[in-house]
Amino acid sequence: MSYRLTLAEIESYLRKAARASGLDWGIAEEAGKAARWLAAFSLPGPELLLEHLQNLADKDYRQFVPDCSLDPWQAPGGLLCPVITGAALADRSAQMLDGHAFRLGNTAYPLLLAATLGQAARYHQTAFVTCWAGVRLNCFGHGIQILGRREDLTLAEAEHVCCCRDDSAEVEIEASTLAYEIDEDVFKRIDALAFQTYAPATAASRAGAGAGLTDND
Amino acid sequence: MENCGDNNPMPDAAAFRRPPELVMRLARMGSFHQTRLSFMRVLLRRLERENWKFKRNLWAIDAQGFGRAVYTVYGPERAYSLVAFSHDLPDHMRSDRVIATAWDATFALYDGVPDEADLDRLEQNVPKQEAGRISDSELSLSRANRSVRLWQHVVDSLAAGRQPEREQLEAVGYLVRTTAVYGSGKFGAADRLTIAGRAELSGPFQAEMLSVWLTRAFSVDLVEHVAAARGGERAVVIEPELRRRIGVGNSTGLGMAPFLVNHPALLNNWMMAREEALARVRSLPTAEPRAIAEFRDHFEKARYNLSQWHSEHPVQIEKLKALGADLERMAEYIEQQSLADDHPWDRFYRWSEEHLSLEGQEQLVSLLLEPYGELVDELAQCMDADEHKSFFIDGAMPLARLRDIIESRCRWALEVDYDEPDNRARFWYTSAEKLEPRVGERFEEPGAEYELPLAVGLDIKRLHTALADSAPESSTAEFLLAHPEHRHTVRRVQNLASHPYAEIQDNLIAADMLPIDILRCKLSFFGATRFDPRSDRWVRICMYQDAPYPHELLAPPESGEAAVAV
Repeated sequence: MSYRLTLAEIESYLRKAARASGLDWGIAEEAGKAARWLAAFSLPGPELLLEHLQNLADKDYRQFVPDCSLDPWQAPGGLLCPVITGAALADRSAQMLDGHAFRLGNTAYPLLLAATLGQAARYHQTAFVTCWAGVRLNCFGHGIQILGRREDLTLAEAEHVCCCRDDSAEVEIEASTLAYEIDEDVFKRIDALAFQTYAPATAASRAGAGAGLTDND
Repeated sequence: MENCGDNNPMPDAAAFRRPPELVMRLARMGSFHQTRLSFMRVLLRRLERENWKFKRNLWAIDAQGFGRAVYTVYGPERAYSLVAFSHDLPDHMRSDRVIATAWDATFALYDGVPDEADLDRLEQNVPKQEAGRISDSELSLSRANRSVRLWQHVVDSLAAGRQPEREQLEAVGYLVRTTAVYGSGKFGAADRLTIAGRAELSGPFQAEMLSVWLTRAFSVDLVEHVAAARGGERAVVIEPELRRRIGVGNSTGLGMAPFLVNHPALLNNWMMAREEALARVRSLPTAEPRAIAEFRDHFEKARYNLSQWHSEHPVQIEKLKALGADLERMAEYIEQQSLADDHPWDRFYRWSEEHLSLEGQEQLVSLLLEPYGELVDELAQCMDADEHKSFFIDGAMPLARLRDIIESRCRWALEVDYDEPDNRARFWYTSAEKLEPRVGERFEEPGAEYELPLAVGLDIKRLHTALADSAPESSTAEFLLAHPEHRHTVRRVQNLASHPYAEIQDNLIAADMLPIDILRCKLSFFGATRFDPRSDRWVRICMYQDAPYPHELLAPPESGEAAVAV
């Protein structure tokens, strides 16, 4: 069974799911945007992010944070978080405009990293390319281009990742605004994670939103 | 204006603009009134200007008033249809709370003209509201309940061949009251980006405003239909002039409040447009007799509106009393002072700051814009926002600059002592039971660990403290790698550099914070009138009162022009 989620719903659910998995709100916002952005190209952003968040659970965030003083960047725990690292790259995107290329070591779900960085491409109105294994993903504001082995897009890990600006890239797939089909079981797991950000009701909260007056006149 | 191109025709008006630290306070925002730039007025101006057409494409309602109907407006490029379902709702299930599960009528705004299959699909889902699913073809989802007080009186009167009592009709002001009107990708509806490129819907909440306008027409058609079925030949319809006095009610609670906090760039652009409009009028050296006459005319309407505006809430009762006194003082001013020369509107406005309550000052702001459509209406184009741009963090920004923005634009946040329990007495959270935002009491209720990032002032102060321990020349990117907990706040602070009106400059978790102030600000931008708080976190309003109806404003489509699919 599949379920149709709007892009707005994907962003909202995945932001909350990321928050529930221990990421700070600002990083969780990036995660929601990345999932939404990939879904707009019919790429499995929500599904991969869910897998990644489940891998993060109960682990120390610091283990996944890049040491940017190294080349390539490395995580203390041996595996870079694509959202945290993608955000760190986006924060340094001005250097990429100047021609700098970033090299990363072992990275989880590099597609999520490319998408997080892709948000900065949109801001700068340029193309940022992310390469790993046998695939190269060019991200523009409202489009992408996939070169090489498509099956590598969804790899759970890549040993080497490279990110830089590429002016020669061309948009191949335009972003859609339509709802995204997701497996119902996957959605249920995302929903269950997101639900953990909601506070259980109390007598006070039930009374609090309403009024002491009749609302039926 | 910085968000709206470089072709500002009145650059000198900037000197008259009110500063954010004056405007962005909850007490003032909670005293806003609708203006020419309110979204429902922007919508109706466009429909009229572009010669949109209107047709009720389907009316399949039985004698009891149950069934379905379709109302379509046809624009130069596209058509939109309100699909309405009218239901038999037992009295014990009628509730205005957003948590209700059944309603008198439910609606969807369809993108185009629906066919029979669309209507059948919608009938399976729209009546369930949040528990159903709509699709990429729908732009909004909403529901309404009848005003029990007024509905019966109007049906009885019309069926007996009489007009309803004006007094009774005006006391309520509407036949139906909507609660939530959902759009922008909620519950399966089309994503905001689907319509963002369409001139007619790119402005804020235009699809929702259209849906509510057509809902009003439906409510009046329905009451006349039921009266006609009951009264037969004796029954009459409502006189057009009295009909105009019927608006649509709305009941709004906390769910709407976080929106303004979650969309800082948008809030900035709404405020900026409104403030620029006021500044343009204040900058005029003289006023023509025509403008003065129009001002007086609208002033009298404001007085009449106040006479129709009732509330049982102690806070609002006091505010209405103050507004009444303010209007009398304004009347004296109008009689005694020249409105023609020597920057008359600026003088009047500055006088109001000295002599009127915030209700009166903001009422005057709305009135001052009325005669000057040609100066201010174009600012409506500046009220949407590219929120993606403000999501980006400039990682190269030195921390010294970040601190500078906080110290120059966020004094309001730094001045608060958050160790004082009253200054962090509340927390915002989402209720697991209702999936709606709520406000909790931090020291009395459990659940503070679920706090939403809406304690903006406290977060800014914490960021400021953290910055004190970092080297001023180091970059935002380096800081955020070590302090990801400040990322959402850095986004806000950087945004403030180019969006000075982006933040509410008050403590949103203070013990004395009134959520209805946030609601009123937002609803005034919609164009609501007659704010009637039912508690400190729930308000009733009226929309579209005195506005023309679709069949009055718009001609029917010529044959062949309209794709009639139902």
